[in-house]
Amino acid sequence: MKSILTVFLSLLLLQVSAGAQESPFFITYTHHMGEPGNLDLEVSTTNGIPRSGQNAYIAPYVELEYGVTARWTSELYLEGQSTSGDSSVFTGWRWENRYKVLGREHWINPVLYLEYENLNEASRIQKEIEGGGPDLVSPNALLTPTHDHELEGKLILSSDYRDWNISENFSLAKNFSQSEGVEFGYAFGVSRPLATLASAHDCRLCRENFVLGAELYGGLGSTLDFGVHNTAHYFAPVISWALSDNSTLRLSPGFGLAHETNPVLLRFGYTYEVQGFAERVAKLFGRRP
Amino acid sequence: MSKIGVGSVLTAFLAASCFAQNPHYQPDPEWRPPTQAQTRENPLAARPELAAGGRKLFVRNCAECHGRDGAGLEKKHSADLQLPVVQQESDGALFWKITNGNAKRGMPSFSKIPELQRWQIVLYVRTLEPSPGLVPKANHQ
Repeated sequence: MKSILTVFLSLLLLQVSAGAQESPFFITYTHHMGEPGNLDLEVSTTNGIPRSGQNAYIAPYVELEYGVTARWTSELYLEGQSTSGDSSVFTGWRWENRYKVLGREHWINPVLYLEYENLNEASRIQKEIEGGGPDLVSPNALLTPTHDHELEGKLILSSDYRDWNISENFSLAKNFSQSEGVEFGYAFGVSRPLATLASAHDCRLCRENFVLGAELYGGLGSTLDFGVHNTAHYFAPVISWALSDNSTLRLSPGFGLAHETNPVLLRFGYTYEVQGFAERVAKLFGRRP
Repeated sequence: MSKIGVGSVLTAFLAASCFAQNPHYQPDPEWRPPTQAQTRENPLAARPELAAGGRKLFVRNCAECHGRDGAGLEKKHSADLQLPVVQQESDGALFWKITNGNAKRGMPSFSKIPELQRWQIVLYVRTLEPSPGLVPKANHQ
């Protein structure tokens, strides 16, 4: 634990002025894509604070986000979870792709999203909630043997109005391993930076480095049982802090709005942007990018 | 350091600057803002002191491709922002280009930057001037 803290603090101290104004959302996607050739390394956790009959858990995940082009961003996730009084398990991986449909900015900017998931039922990072949400009660030994091969699609609609970002995501997922029908979910998010003018000096605690917002997300059942009953829903304030020009810290306490949820979901995320990643790799292999 | 030494260092620096910039930059003729966008005025035009904040934003968001001096980088095929062809654009046109990007040429949209900060970047871009003698004449289209 001490060594993790040391590494984390070193990363913070090593930050130099290099432009991360990352979206503060954990669940809702906006139309802002990764910069081409840059790689975002993100370490996040979803921490479930239990209600009676549930166990506390930490579900960490690593995300590698790469800007393939100015309109196409690809991401790989590796995830796990550790449940109090139970065990720690690797829960699988996901590969997602987002494509910005229109080349220019409009009132509403659509983005298409396609993701393949190879997970087991113990997955608890809750990057999105479809159908009724994850099983938060059964032990890992029962959940891990059940594998899900899932294809997920999303329609992301996002608008920048003055300094506000307003985004709506509508998702559907088909699990090819089980007959659950097609599951549905939603996420809405609103955010705004605390200050809209940049000061002349480099500073870490200036208001311009903070973005505040809120998300509302949950499941909408499936084709077999459509609706909001027996589904999970959360309301989550979010805050992001640009620690430096290429790193961002995010925090979100989510509050469960239904009995199928954890009462509180605490999310933390740290993102580090590697600028010119493609160029560096090309150089490594002696090629021109 | 002797005068010859200082001269050599300065020459090497100027030569490096020449190679770093993008002398082959050609504007994309199809990347034209709509008339309404071109005529927008910079709401910060009366506050030139805010260009300093624009410089900070430029270094964070733009320097990776355009270079710290805005002269463009050949390896990135990015625009030399010091060129008259860029400087003659209206504030509104520059704002539109920062906001929308040009996916065809690999420039992302920077609409994630708050609106007033994008105008600050425009203020800063206006201060970019070519170093005398470094820009080949062919660039001045």
